Amino acid sequence: MGRVSSARLREKVAPYVLLAPFLFSLIVFFGYAFARVVYFSFTEYDLFSAPRWVGLKNYLNIFRDLDFTRAMKNSLTFMLVVTTAQTIIALLLALFLNQKVRGIKFFRAAYYMPSVASSVVVTLIFIWFFQKRGVLNFLITKFKEYQAIIWLFLLIAAGINILLVAWEKLRRRPVSLFEPSFAFLGILVSFIVVFSAVRFGFLAPREVQPAEIIWFNTTKTWPDFLGSLSFSIPLGAIMIFNIWTTAPTFMLLYLAGLQDIPRELYEAAQVDGAEGWHIILHIIVPQLKPITFLVVTMGLIGTLQMFDQVAILGSQAPRSAVITLAYYIYSNLFPGSSTPRVGMASASAMFLALLTALIVYAQRRVIGGESDNA
Amino acid sequence: MHDLKARRWANVAAIYCFLLLLSVLFMGPFVFAFLSSLKDNPTEWPPSLLVNQLRPANWAASYRLAKQGGGNGFTGGMGPGGSLEFEVTYWTSPDQEPVPPDIVIPKRVQGGAVMALRVTHWAADYVQVADLEEVRREPSADGFLTTYRFRLVNTGDVALDTVPMDLTVPMRQQFVSATLSPNRIERLGRTQSWNNVSAGLLPYVFGNYARVFRENYSVSTGRGLFLLWIRNSVFLAITRVLTTLLFASMAGYALARLDFRGKGAIFAFLLFSMMIPQQVTFISNYLVLRDGVFGLSRLFGMPTLLNTYAGLIISGLVGASSVFIMKQFFERLPASMEESARIDGASTYTVFFRIMLPLAKPPLGALTILTFQGVWNEFFWPLVVITSPADKYPLTIGLLNLQRAYGSATFDWGPILAGTFISALPVIVLFIVFQQYFVEGISFSGTKG
Repeated sequence: MGRVSSARLREKVAPYVLLAPFLFSLIVFFGYAFARVVYFSFTEYDLFSAPRWVGLKNYLNIFRDLDFTRAMKNSLTFMLVVTTAQTIIALLLALFLNQKVRGIKFFRAAYYMPSVASSVVVTLIFIWFFQKRGVLNFLITKFKEYQAIIWLFLLIAAGINILLVAWEKLRRRPVSLFEPSFAFLGILVSFIVVFSAVRFGFLAPREVQPAEIIWFNTTKTWPDFLGSLSFSIPLGAIMIFNIWTTAPTFMLLYLAGLQDIPRELYEAAQVDGAEGWHIILHIIVPQLKPITFLVVTMGLIGTLQMFDQVAILGSQAPRSAVITLAYYIYSNLFPGSSTPRVGMASASAMFLALLTALIVYAQRRVIGGESDNA
Repeated sequence: MHDLKARRWANVAAIYCFLLLLSVLFMGPFVFAFLSSLKDNPTEWPPSLLVNQLRPANWAASYRLAKQGGGNGFTGGMGPGGSLEFEVTYWTSPDQEPVPPDIVIPKRVQGGAVMALRVTHWAADYVQVADLEEVRREPSADGFLTTYRFRLVNTGDVALDTVPMDLTVPMRQQFVSATLSPNRIERLGRTQSWNNVSAGLLPYVFGNYARVFRENYSVSTGRGLFLLWIRNSVFLAITRVLTTLLFASMAGYALARLDFRGKGAIFAFLLFSMMIPQQVTFISNYLVLRDGVFGLSRLFGMPTLLNTYAGLIISGLVGASSVFIMKQFFERLPASMEESARIDGASTYTVFFRIMLPLAKPPLGALTILTFQGVWNEFFWPLVVITSPADKYPLTIGLLNLQRAYGSATFDWGPILAGTFISALPVIVLFIVFQQYFVEGISFSGTKG
């Protein structure tokens, strides 16, 4: 009797034993931490003397802090631009890479490779890339030199493409405007024409001053017509390399989603006479809704937490141009030589948490897709 | 019919063209940065893909010079009594008489004053120039090409690891080529400068990489910091992979297949925790570690867990998303798997460790890769916890330190880029070998919706 009940007791306790390490982590480093940050946000505390209750003062003060409003604006702009761009780029990449050609796996892997490196690695490489006399400015210089030639090349290519498509249409053959074989032909012919024109001296690159765009150490904003909605150039640079590394990750998610779409759907659509863009817009995109929901959610949460790039840039970019909410919180807790403002840090942290929850909730209402296994 | 076939081929060609274009876009910056990390000056203008360090002639020369000097051809050095032969060619206009170069072995070391402290024997004190002579003069396009030959001799009885050299010629006498390409050309082309003529093949080609290891040492212990940082990151990554694998599968199994009170609440709490940014909870977690997890660490003789790996490991025992991945996996296993064992009277522990865990190899593989990559790349939390001494940094924080060290006055991008690639190498190798797991990991974490 005693043995049986002790065995039953052991069985009853077993789940909790198995969960113990995780529960320890969850309770101490999340539950307790969250509750304590809520408490700190109503206090004045400098890490050393005991916290003093001040009510809502911190919440009012952060909105009076110019750094905080800047950080909020930067974080929101960053979130909007990066999430939108990376989602669209990831979807387009996935649509394109969802083909059966030899070696496609190699290319998928190649595109994904930058994403496995750490943010420090990527940021350092891009700081180098964006130097005043760096590779990007060099490419911009080259582009300016060859601008006219490049436009001519594209014009001829597009012209040939349109002519070929028009010819096919006249002969009443079904053909898409973006028929790859025609595009390829157009590009090939155009390249040969333009290349020989340059080679034999009919066309020459323009002489231009080397571009000396300063990407980081500047408070200039872009684009000008947006007025106060425009973002600083250093933030724009961070956006560029952030999109560059996250788009391939989300592309893999989309690819997995694309492979789950049943073939019959395409075939049925084709039987109904749908083609190209119609299939993508009316069949594929709705089918990918759960993935899009996931990609956008992960994108929103990730971009709102942006910190590493700002910390690594450090003094190379003006603080006001790149400060984000996450960095604002950090710099209130570790302000260098002045006293830590834990209350302010906590209040802004709560604000960040609330903002994240609200935005994720809002997009759930907008996209409305919820994956089945959630 | 023929038309259709041709069109299909053109289609495939178009696809490959576009694939290649995208490869340039995604891999281009990486590859360009890697090639530049070998250069003496990665910020030269215009940026070029011609790297002296990648020219086979220089490989052969650096190997040969180190051999002649009595050192190892691959790792370099100049032994006692070593002697190496050097040739250099200049161009002069017809109305100018070529002059032999002024050869100086300077007291110079890469890495500035900190490195100068470590030099025991200066090459300048021992190496002498001998047999400087003109060996050839031939007419060229619109002038003359004159070649000089000389020997550098180590007259001392010590082995030297670095032999820098500067050659200076009058104005308008232009440098054309030398046995080994110079690292820099200065003073409007008058001075050609070598960091180390007896470098040997590897230090010559991977000069910046060698600098990263050599020039960053702890002032207190004298040990090379970069190697320590790598070791620290490896240690942290392995430990945290192990704790994550064990604890995540335990918790995942319990949440997926056992019935107990509070299960729903725990799971809801887990989902909630995944939504809250790390920057919210770190304020309290920093204090928890500072006070040694409610003073418990004092029992082990640690007054605080800041600046300790114990702190990083305890605060990162197991992540919510890892538990989530394991729970998803265990839920999909058929119930029959454990039922028969249960009927035989096996306990929960036996079922878990003997039956369920061995079945979980695929998700554990993915989790290993994901966790390793996550810990290796982690930046924010180590930045908060590990602040000093530099010996304790993990690699990411070390890189930040490296950037500050070489970026103080003017940016010395060579070592910064080199350090960057060394730190990216392990994850890139892992990625190439275990590619499938990376993709699976993404789709595992992708099911969390």
